[in-house]
Amino acid sequence: MSDLKRTQLFAVHTDAGASMVDFGGWEMPIQYPDGIVAEHLYTRHACSLFDVSHMGRLLVEGPERVKFLQHVLTSNVMALDLNQAQYCMIPAENGGAVDDAYLYRFEEERFLLVVNAANTDKDLKHLLEAVKEYDCTITNITADYASIAVQGPKSKELLMTLSGGEAVTEPMKNALNTLQFEGRTVRVAKTGYTGEPLGYEVYIESGEAAWLWNRLVELGAKPAGLGARDTLRLEAGFPLYGHEMGTDPSGAVIPIFSVPLARLAVSFSSQKGDYIGRKVLEKQSAAYQKIMNRDFSEMDVLPRRIMPITLLDRGVMRAGMPVYRGEEQIGWVTSGTMVPYYCHEGEGLSTKILDDTAKRSIGLAYLSSDVLEEDCVEVDVRGKRLKAVIPPYHMRVDAPPFARPILYKTEQEQSAAKDNDFEAKALELIQKASDNHQWRQKCCINLIPSENSASRAVQLLCASDPAFRYAEHKKIKSFYDQDIFYYQGTKFIDRVEQLLTEQMKQYLGCSEAETRVISGQMSNMAVFSALMDWKNRLDRKHTPQRLGYVLNNHIIKGGHLSAQPMGALHDYIAVDPVTERSAVVNFPVCKDNIYKIDVDETKNVIEKYRPELIIFGKSMVLHKEPVAAIRQFVDEQNIPTTIMYDMAHVLGLIGDHFQKPFEEGAEIVTGSTHKTFFGPQRGVIGVNYQKGDLKYGLWETIESRAFPGSVSNHHLGTQLGLLMAAYEMNAFKDSYQKAVVENAKYFAKCLKEQGLDVAGDPAVGYTETHQVIVSVGYGSGPEVAERLEQNNIIVNYQATPDEEGFTASGALRMGVSEMTRFGFGKEAFSRLAGLMADCILRAKDVSAEVEKLRASYDTMHYCFSDEKMQTALESFLGQIAL
Amino acid sequence: MNYPAELNYSKSHEWVKMDGDTAVIGISDFAQNALGDVVFVNLPQEGDSVSVGEAFGDVESVKTVSDLICPVSGVVCAVNADLLDAPEKLNSDPYGTWLIQVKELSEQEELISANEYEALCRVEG
Repeated sequence: MSDLKRTQLFAVHTDAGASMVDFGGWEMPIQYPDGIVAEHLYTRHACSLFDVSHMGRLLVEGPERVKFLQHVLTSNVMALDLNQAQYCMIPAENGGAVDDAYLYRFEEERFLLVVNAANTDKDLKHLLEAVKEYDCTITNITADYASIAVQGPKSKELLMTLSGGEAVTEPMKNALNTLQFEGRTVRVAKTGYTGEPLGYEVYIESGEAAWLWNRLVELGAKPAGLGARDTLRLEAGFPLYGHEMGTDPSGAVIPIFSVPLARLAVSFSSQKGDYIGRKVLEKQSAAYQKIMNRDFSEMDVLPRRIMPITLLDRGVMRAGMPVYRGEEQIGWVTSGTMVPYYCHEGEGLSTKILDDTAKRSIGLAYLSSDVLEEDCVEVDVRGKRLKAVIPPYHMRVDAPPFARPILYKTEQEQSAAKDNDFEAKALELIQKASDNHQWRQKCCINLIPSENSASRAVQLLCASDPAFRYAEHKKIKSFYDQDIFYYQGTKFIDRVEQLLTEQMKQYLGCSEAETRVISGQMSNMAVFSALMDWKNRLDRKHTPQRLGYVLNNHIIKGGHLSAQPMGALHDYIAVDPVTERSAVVNFPVCKDNIYKIDVDETKNVIEKYRPELIIFGKSMVLHKEPVAAIRQFVDEQNIPTTIMYDMAHVLGLIGDHFQKPFEEGAEIVTGSTHKTFFGPQRGVIGVNYQKGDLKYGLWETIESRAFPGSVSNHHLGTQLGLLMAAYEMNAFKDSYQKAVVENAKYFAKCLKEQGLDVAGDPAVGYTETHQVIVSVGYGSGPEVAERLEQNNIIVNYQATPDEEGFTASGALRMGVSEMTRFGFGKEAFSRLAGLMADCILRAKDVSAEVEKLRASYDTMHYCFSDEKMQTALESFLGQIAL
Repeated sequence: MNYPAELNYSKSHEWVKMDGDTAVIGISDFAQNALGDVVFVNLPQEGDSVSVGEAFGDVESVKTVSDLICPVSGVVCAVNADLLDAPEKLNSDPYGTWLIQVKELSEQEELISANEYEALCRVEG
């Protein structure tokens, strides 16, 4: 093997006892003494190292680098921000792939293109031919840097040890960063070929490669070879050039759109011009869309697609084996083997990964495009026809930190036997609801920050007659904007709504309020819909333009779901034609406190994107939002925009002890009425436009997008209850809000003193809201939250801004509003902090003590409770109850 | 690498142990090491005839598949059913894990001793 190339880590591999093989002209480790199965499993439960230094690293620089890359890659290079990477194809004129690649942008003025080792020479030749037309250069820097893939659930922890605790990259896939590992400069990408939700590829100067490798092994990572790399990527469903791309076993070119992942790598943005293969790819895309709609009339353009395949009979599939549907050969297996996995038990979030392992026979296949998921086929395994099925996927990664194998289930679960004893069911329901009420209202300490308990009066009103009525109404200009009701019997509720509107205007400190929306999410949808409608009001003859840009808090930085493109913004947000992504940009956060918006950086973002809508507000909220500073800036800079504050969490804190949004310059406030506010579950919209203002028209549009835009029946029972809650809030807000903020700060301090890791700025007592956030260790949030529930303490586990998603949560999000209402003060929160520390840090059973503590605080405060009120309530209750 | 002296070996890396008139057949340590993790074994059924130099089954590892070449001719009288669920035993204990047993032996390949086999493996390895 003397003429084979060797990576910087060759000696490290042979010293570790690796079996070396020829791979694309490189002498590479196929496996280490533990073997492929052990290496695969270690990657999935801990962390493996892969030497990927053999992959081609090509540096593209020069004035026309973007134009050149737009021409030779399928992806939209303009969509690639600094410190981001993107998957792409190097297309051929015939619509096939010369190679697949990853494009990295570690620096403004340079791009790094990483290609398959075996294709590097071919790719370079192809690219050097094309680059002649452009004012830029390609340099092969493969030998200058080593590349080590660090993959698996422990990878982040290991790399953070080397970075001295600094975040390695942003938690999103494809994020990049340049940082120091114990004094050595490294470039890190959150990318990989194993499918691990936590996986990185680290680039380091060649001379330091062995140091990094050995250091990671010391910290607990284990080396893995190309064998495990192949089984891992197969389980993840990733294509491999030469198998799922290139040419098929008959020698025909595999069209790029035959590869599922490739679809995401192809852009038809006008920014890309007439790039190599574009016309053929557009045809493939059209054919692909038909096929996905089960119209198989254009299968000649895309005769086959790469699909996952699972063997049902015992055996092993290998690349090249023919696949049959009846007697018709419909394609071939392109990759296949037995892949190990960890067994699991339990369901949902309580799914437990066991130490036991098993294996399954899976593969990828290139099959006729009319094959559907769940279709049964047969694989010719050396003359024997074995049964196989097309599953939707082999693995999922949407519950980090673990990649989860998805096993094909052959038998459907038997549905439970039918039981028609409805009377027994009804009785059981009452009993269970009663038990639940008793537990949640009397035995538990509820610290969910998005919840509160309503007073008896509010509860009773919610259940009274209006809960079963309708009261649609609309302002009519002909009657000088008088509300006209569509139903009779509504005079009472008409009056209630007028009173509620007045109470809400007074509370929010604004000129107009809409109270018919029945949730915070609906409040936002009505506002977004109105903003879009208002934007298009002068041109009704075209399809309305959506909103963009919108500036908001990223969901992973605590932003509300209801202000995200995946939430309430979904149908109202434009797609930026340059980046081909939602026209949303996020508030930058402070480096030293990720819960705080960085005002100076935000100003730069606003100048760059000139957002037409700025949405303040978070669901993980410890600090005040800088409304006044941003209002001042947009006014000074004369940037036309609308400032909205989604106060869902902090609606009940509006006032002297937190923020007064309208005084600070917000135009629109939305919120939900049941988190820090005292109401049942509803929404509210307030605006501060005056009659005669240009934007008063926007307010009128908001009203019409509430009704008839969002609700027909606006849930009159809870609207009635909300009026009582608004009376309570306006009467008691000063003492309640003061107590909430003081309690939160004190609770945070006590938890910190108990040895728990409390987030936020210690200089302001960790929190300025009702929320307290405690870190309990990466990925431990769900388990700790469940343990607390067993001990009668109800909290909410949350991913912090540097975690990947809710299953990887390492934090508990807590709020003090409900317990403050039940009279908790310093003494009670101090005791609670001690009990929580016992439970979290020492796994002690504190359930009885928690129940005892809760029992001594059973009176609702900040509501009307004198004798006259008691008598009135009892009489009303008698009427409703029986 | 382990080459027990009491066994005989074929050049295609099977071992044979004579138990009275029955040939017990397995694969060598060298073979399992070259294959890597064994994940599936395909074996004949009891009563099947097997012939010298012909495949009597195959063994699949993660990386590859390899035919099992029969060093004797005869009739299969026992098949190691444990291997269906635990093929990795071939990796962990290649000489304690037999594949098939053959009776009514009619023909036999010229087998080699442990020393000769070890020398052969040195050349191949």
